[in-house]
Amino acid sequence: MKSLFLTFHVYLAFARKSFQRRMQYRVANLAGLTTNFFFLLVHIFVYTAFYAARTDPQPLNLNEIITYFVLCQVFFMLMPFWGARSEVTSAIKDGSVSLQLTKPVDFHAYWLADECGRACYYLLMRGLPTFLISILFFEVAMPRQPTALMAFIVSMTLAALMSAAITITIFSSAFWTLDTTGISGLSYSIITLFSGMLVPIALWPEWLAHTAEWLPFAGLIDVPFSIYLSKITGAAVWIAIGKQMVWTLFFMGLGRVLLSRGFSRLVIQGG
Amino acid sequence: MHHLSLYFHFVKLRIRSQMEYRLSFVFDLFSQASVSVIDFFMIALLFDRFKELAGWSLWEVGFLYGMIGICFAVAEMMGRGFDVFQRNVVRGDFDTMLVRPLGTFYQVFSNEFLLRRVGRIAQALVVFLVANSQLTITWSFAKVGYLLISLVSGTCFFIGLFVIGATSCFWTVQSIEIINIFTNGGVFMGSYPFGIYRWWFRHFFTFIVDPENKFTFFEIYVSLYDYDLFNRFAQMRA
Repeated sequence: MKSLFLTFHVYLAFARKSFQRRMQYRVANLAGLTTNFFFLLVHIFVYTAFYAARTDPQPLNLNEIITYFVLCQVFFMLMPFWGARSEVTSAIKDGSVSLQLTKPVDFHAYWLADECGRACYYLLMRGLPTFLISILFFEVAMPRQPTALMAFIVSMTLAALMSAAITITIFSSAFWTLDTTGISGLSYSIITLFSGMLVPIALWPEWLAHTAEWLPFAGLIDVPFSIYLSKITGAAVWIAIGKQMVWTLFFMGLGRVLLSRGFSRLVIQGG
Repeated sequence: MHHLSLYFHFVKLRIRSQMEYRLSFVFDLFSQASVSVIDFFMIALLFDRFKELAGWSLWEVGFLYGMIGICFAVAEMMGRGFDVFQRNVVRGDFDTMLVRPLGTFYQVFSNEFLLRRVGRIAQALVVFLVANSQLTITWSFAKVGYLLISLVSGTCFFIGLFVIGATSCFWTVQSIEIINIFTNGGVFMGSYPFGIYRWWFRHFFTFIVDPENKFTFFEIYVSLYDYDLFNRFAQMRA
C-alpha cells in the first residue's frame, strides 16, 4: 500500500513540474487567450448570420450554439491537436529520450502525468478566464440540472484523458517516422472533423452523424458538450460515458504497445 | 537580375533537399491538403443545412474561400523563411547571415521554400475553379487582370504579416503567436463574406490593421467587380 502511494506521489510530482514549467510563459498565455477570443467571435458571427436567415427550429438554437463554441474555446488546449509539439518528438529524434528512459519510472505513465499537468494548467489559466469573460459578453447557457453538470464533469475528464492518450499514441509514431508533422496533420484533420469542433454533430446530415457515432472522436467535444446542454439525457448519458471509457482504454493500450515496440527498436538502433 | 537568378537557384536547392525525404513529403502533402479539404467540407455542411449566408450561396463563399486560400498558401510557401526566423535568431544562425555579402531580408526570404504547400494551393484552386464554373461570371481581359493583381497583392500582404511577426522576435526572442490571429485567423475570417461581422470587428480589420483594404476586403472587391454583387453588398451594409 505504501509503495503504491509512493508511486502515485512520483507521478504527481511529474504532473506538477509540467504545470510549473508552463507557468513561466505568461505573455504567451495572454496571446493565446486573445487568439481564443478571436476565433470564438468569428464562429459566433458566422453562426449568427446563418441562423438569421432561418426561422424554422434547428436541433440546437443559437444560444446553445454560442455556448457550444464557448466551451470549445475553453477546452481547446486540452484537445489532441498538439501532436507535433517539438520538445517530445525532438527528444526521440536527437536521442535524448534515452536519458529520460534511464529514470526508474513507467514511461507511458510519465508522459501521461506530463500531459495531465499540462491539461490542468490550460484548464486553469486558459479555460477558466475564457469561460468567465464569455459569461460577461455572451449569453452562455448553464447546465439545466446539477446531475447534468456532474455528468459533464465526468465526461469532460474522460475526454481530457482520451486526448492525452491519443497525443502519446501520435508521439510514439515518431519512433518509426522520426517526424510527426505528417501524421499529426492527418490526425488533426480527422479529429477536427469527427469531434464536432467546427460544426456540432447535431447539425450534420444523418449519414455523416451516424459515422461519427462509431468513431471515438465525438467523445472529445461533442459528447461532453451535448451532456452539458442536456441534449443527451437519462440512460443515454451512461451509454455515452461508457463508450468514452472504452475508447480511452483502447488508446491507452495502443499507446503502451506502440511505446514498448518503439523502445525495442530504439535499443536495436543504439546497438 | 543576379539576385533573381540566385533566388531561383536557392529555391531549386530547397526543393531538392525536401525531395530527399520523399515519403515524408508525400505524407505531408496529403495531410496538408486533407486539413483544408475538411475546412471547406464543413462550410459545405453548413450550407447544406442553412442554404444561404446573408444572401450568399455556397459557391459565392467558395469563390472567396478559394481566393484567400490560394494567396495564403502561396505566401506560406514563399515566406516560410520568416516563419522560422525566430529559430535562426535563437540558435544564432542569423549571425552567419550578417557576415554574408547579401541583404539580410533577401537571405531570410530565400532561406526556405516550402514545396509541400502545393497541396493546399491545389485544394484552394480546385474550390475556386469549381466555384467559377457554378457561378455565371463573364470574364473579360480587365477582370482577369484585376484578379491576378488581387492574388499577387493578397500574397504580398500575408508575406508582409509574416515579416512583422518575424521581426518581433528581436525583442521577444520567441516570435509572438498573436500574429496567428491575422494570418490563420485572417484566412478563416476572410472565407466568409465580410458583411456578417459586427461593425467594430470589421473596422478593426479594415482600418487599423489594413488601411489599404488589401486584406479580407480585397477579395470582396474582386467579387464585386467580377460578379456584380453591388446590390447584395448595399443590403449588407444597411
